[in-house]
Amino acid sequence: MRKFLTVLRYEYAQVVKKKSFIVGIFLTPVLMAFFIILPSYFARKAPTATESVVIIDAGGIGIGDQLATGMGSYTLEGATTPAFEVKQIFTLSSDDSTRFRQLEDSLRTVINDKGLKYLIVIKSNAERSDSSVYLVTNSSNFTSISRFERKLSDVISSHRLRASNVNLPVDSVLNLTHRIDLTVRDTKGEAIPFEVRYFGALVLVMLIYIMILTYGMMVMRSVIEEKTSRIMEVMVSSVSPFQLMMGKVIGLGAAAFTSVAIWVVFGVALYFGSGALAIPIDPSTSKLIFHPVVVVFFVLFLISGYLLYSTLFALVGSIVNTEKEAQNYVMPITISIILPVILGLSVIQEPNSTLAMTLSFIPLFAPTMMMMRIVFVAPAATSFSPFSGILGESILAFLIVVLATIGIIWLTAKIFRIGILMYGKRPTLPELIKWLKY
Amino acid sequence: MYLQLESICKAFDAKVAVDNLSLEVPRGAICGIIGPNGAGKTTTIRMVMNITAPDSGRILLDGHQVDGDFRNRVGYMPEERGLYKKMTCEQVITYLAELKAYPKSKITPKIGSWLDRMELGDYRLRKVEELSKGMQQKLQFITTVLHEPEILILDELFSGLDPLNMELIKSVILDLKRHGTTILFSTHVMEQAEKLCDHICMISHGKKVLDGSLGEVKSRFGKNAVQLEIDGDGDFVRSLPGVREVTDFNRYLELSLADGADPDAILKGVLQRVRVRRFAIVEPSLYDIFIDIAKVDPSEVHGRSTVGGSHA
Repeated sequence: MRKFLTVLRYEYAQVVKKKSFIVGIFLTPVLMAFFIILPSYFARKAPTATESVVIIDAGGIGIGDQLATGMGSYTLEGATTPAFEVKQIFTLSSDDSTRFRQLEDSLRTVINDKGLKYLIVIKSNAERSDSSVYLVTNSSNFTSISRFERKLSDVISSHRLRASNVNLPVDSVLNLTHRIDLTVRDTKGEAIPFEVRYFGALVLVMLIYIMILTYGMMVMRSVIEEKTSRIMEVMVSSVSPFQLMMGKVIGLGAAAFTSVAIWVVFGVALYFGSGALAIPIDPSTSKLIFHPVVVVFFVLFLISGYLLYSTLFALVGSIVNTEKEAQNYVMPITISIILPVILGLSVIQEPNSTLAMTLSFIPLFAPTMMMMRIVFVAPAATSFSPFSGILGESILAFLIVVLATIGIIWLTAKIFRIGILMYGKRPTLPELIKWLKY
Repeated sequence: MYLQLESICKAFDAKVAVDNLSLEVPRGAICGIIGPNGAGKTTTIRMVMNITAPDSGRILLDGHQVDGDFRNRVGYMPEERGLYKKMTCEQVITYLAELKAYPKSKITPKIGSWLDRMELGDYRLRKVEELSKGMQQKLQFITTVLHEPEILILDELFSGLDPLNMELIKSVILDLKRHGTTILFSTHVMEQAEKLCDHICMISHGKKVLDGSLGEVKSRFGKNAVQLEIDGDGDFVRSLPGVREVTDFNRYLELSLADGADPDAILKGVLQRVRVRRFAIVEPSLYDIFIDIAKVDPSEVHGRSTVGGSHA
């Protein structure tokens, strides 16, 4: 026991004293913010410069001109400069299809040269068929595209209303049929915006994922390093292989926990200091991140998931000779940790689907998959029972992970003590099975 | 007996690595396990170290089966040397000594004197990877002995050491022996073993072919021969009474004596005819004995030495 603690202490110190650990403490949250927040920020950001538009109108009912007027109402944020400049409107007769095609083709090439940003094409019959109007562009700015959509809807809807002989002023009909903004409330009657849940799930799952992968790989590298530097035999003459393995797993796990603890402290400080720092945080965030089920199971799944995977990584480290050889084994392990992130969207839409449910009870997927489901289901739950509902499922998933971890530790311990002293050829599966019996 | 190996066997699949090996090492002795590569030396040592378990047989230390506590009382240097490259010399020594449950208060004061003794005094705070291979070997030796083990187990003790470092380590080992440490080492360099150990165990193809104290072994396998270097023609030597056979080695002659022949009488007979430059009674080298007993192909064995102790 004392030697296990000595190994633990050294492995911990080896990591925590490194510069890369300190850098990682600061860099990881920055990178996470970068990958999660920035893409959506840029996608939603309104354009900062006037964008040029050309319209080809072969509809014959003046949609092009009306659209141009409508688009003129948009200005750049915080300025009076118009957001769009309609360079030209080509009005064609509906049966001049040769000229129409030539014109569209030549304008398309200009868009490709970036001289022009948007080309709106209005064909005949536009007031009856949606597919007769389309937008040609290489930009995918959501804000601009939804503006075109809105103005075109207004213009075409009013044409359709007029054509349908409705005996009411067209504008008031448009006002009356205005699309409503639907607020989503959960069963508790609370409205945690989708973004908050989504980011909450992503941050918590990513944290588990990053910690397991980074520190699990560190366990593997540490075993491989001791093998390649041939110090392993000296080590096992002083400590039992099991103590050595667990000392590494838990020592490096303690380092992982140290960095998570630092982030939690910073995160909580940021949350409570957000008012003073004028950082806008949605008030419903606390209902999610301080929800007891979320907090408790985040800690439990982080620990159990780390133990499960880092033991697997130790197993890989013990049977290979170099890191390069390890790559073949690391790949499937990495995929099973990242699976919930890949399947994320379907889980988010239907956290209680059979697929999401099944995956969250499979040991290798449970830590991340169950965590994702908890974030989406727990804050809305009205009652908690340890035998049913989200709490019951979380407990069951956790117990499954714990049992699997014990199994993997038992298995790894048997292979580890043989593998660490084997150099040269990688063992085959039958050989590994034989090692279990030694 | 301090360390006892009782009929230990170990096989890897169909290959028998160690076959019914028994060995007794008295307390405070230096015992060398010698044999060619692949004879089973490392496997034997790993079984003593409890790294591999024997298929059958027992290993006793002070009459008790070796256990976890044994790990702290032993200093072990495996054949494949290795240290943590990124740690400083001081860190690596401290870590490995702490793993032997040796109190930290005793470790720190000893680091300096050991590093000085191994001529590594200036490298205390340098990283292991900055040291040359020979220095790393000496550092490894420090980590093996710093925790005052009562028994030292050194696999292929001399591999990778230059002659100067070899002498240095040999002198430390003899010093440790004087303080009561029991030493078990293996080597395939028989010439070195001969200079260091007082007890030997020869193994070949997993089997013990011979063991005993060095003197005992040598007298048991004395060849009854003399080496003779003379000025002038030595043809007459062949006809001297008691000489059975003469082999001409160009620089000297080797005379096989008949049973019961007296070397002194032969020396007198030679002196009557020519001037003698050298006359030595041949002690068989471990190498010769090994080749003789194990009936192995000499190319399997390293460390040919021709002349043992001389006497004129």
